[in-house]
Amino acid sequence: MEMTIAQGIAKAAALLGAGVCMGIGALGPGLGEGFVAGKACEGIARSPENANLITRTMLVGQAVSESTGIYSLVIALLLVFAVKV
Amino acid sequence: MVSPEIVKIAMFLGAGISVSVSSVACGIGEGYIAGEAVHAMMKQPGANDKLFRNMFVGQAIAETGGIFSLVIAMLLLFSGLENGVLSWLTVSSLLAAGIAVGLGSVGPVLGSGYSGGQACAAIGRQPHHANDIMGNMLIGQALSQTSNIFALVVSLLLIYSIPGVPAGASLGWIIMKATALLASGLVIGFGTLGPGSGIGNVAGRANDMIGRYPAQRKTIMRTMFIGAAVSESTAIYSLVVSLLLIFAIK
Repeated sequence: MEMTIAQGIAKAAALLGAGVCMGIGALGPGLGEGFVAGKACEGIARSPENANLITRTMLVGQAVSESTGIYSLVIALLLVFAVKV
Repeated sequence: MVSPEIVKIAMFLGAGISVSVSSVACGIGEGYIAGEAVHAMMKQPGANDKLFRNMFVGQAIAETGGIFSLVIAMLLLFSGLENGVLSWLTVSSLLAAGIAVGLGSVGPVLGSGYSGGQACAAIGRQPHHANDIMGNMLIGQALSQTSNIFALVVSLLLIYSIPGVPAGASLGWIIMKATALLASGLVIGFGTLGPGSGIGNVAGRANDMIGRYPAQRKTIMRTMFIGAAVSESTAIYSLVVSLLLIFAIK
């Protein structure tokens, strides 16, 4: 509760940064993973005999796309909990 | 303490932002469904009752985001919040509630619209499988709307659990806490944009493919579920960060 105005503004900037970081950071992975899964549905419909291969590739591709979402989460949590002013 | 006029400004701005931003998305999403339905009727005039039913149901579900925003706007305007605790925390909570549900409904509504439009196109191609396609469309739209519900929950939390200002709180602390509440609205608002429209893309492609290869319906639906679940993960991260910003900042 005891905080000078300068400390308050600095911590406020860190929290706003955490919000913007996770909010905009979730945009790319969400869109990209949706695109991968949409194309996987197309592939499975066209060649159902390769369903296992396509599902496996889809999951690997989505896991790689997810990485930037996880980076955003880590940075957001660091900004919320680890920044001391 | 702030004057009631400033709290009223936050209420009005929040209500305006929530309804206006979400109605942009509702217009685009539902217009896309209607456009695809009209296009499909041109090709298959015999299926016009099935297409009309599908269009209507799809538009109703895409409208959910607009209705959530309208409910939050009404709560902001008419639940007498200006008679409650008057502090800068109230001002930023109310503004953040409007931003959360307004921005948060854009992605899910666009996603549901794409899913519904592709379902109409698929029914135009294969009118005999209209029930299968419509069932898949409803599931896909429901998956896409989940992140919209996250935004609604955060918005209701922001309206109904406004923290009080403890005795002896410094101005610096109030600035920090008010910014945290505003950031929690921004994070869930932007965070549902990608997952909502991504899941809509999955559901739309799945509807299209069920229309082309109806025999593969089960495999396509399974892939759609897995893909949508993985796409949802970043919306869940956003929800976690948003709840932390509301409740964990002391």
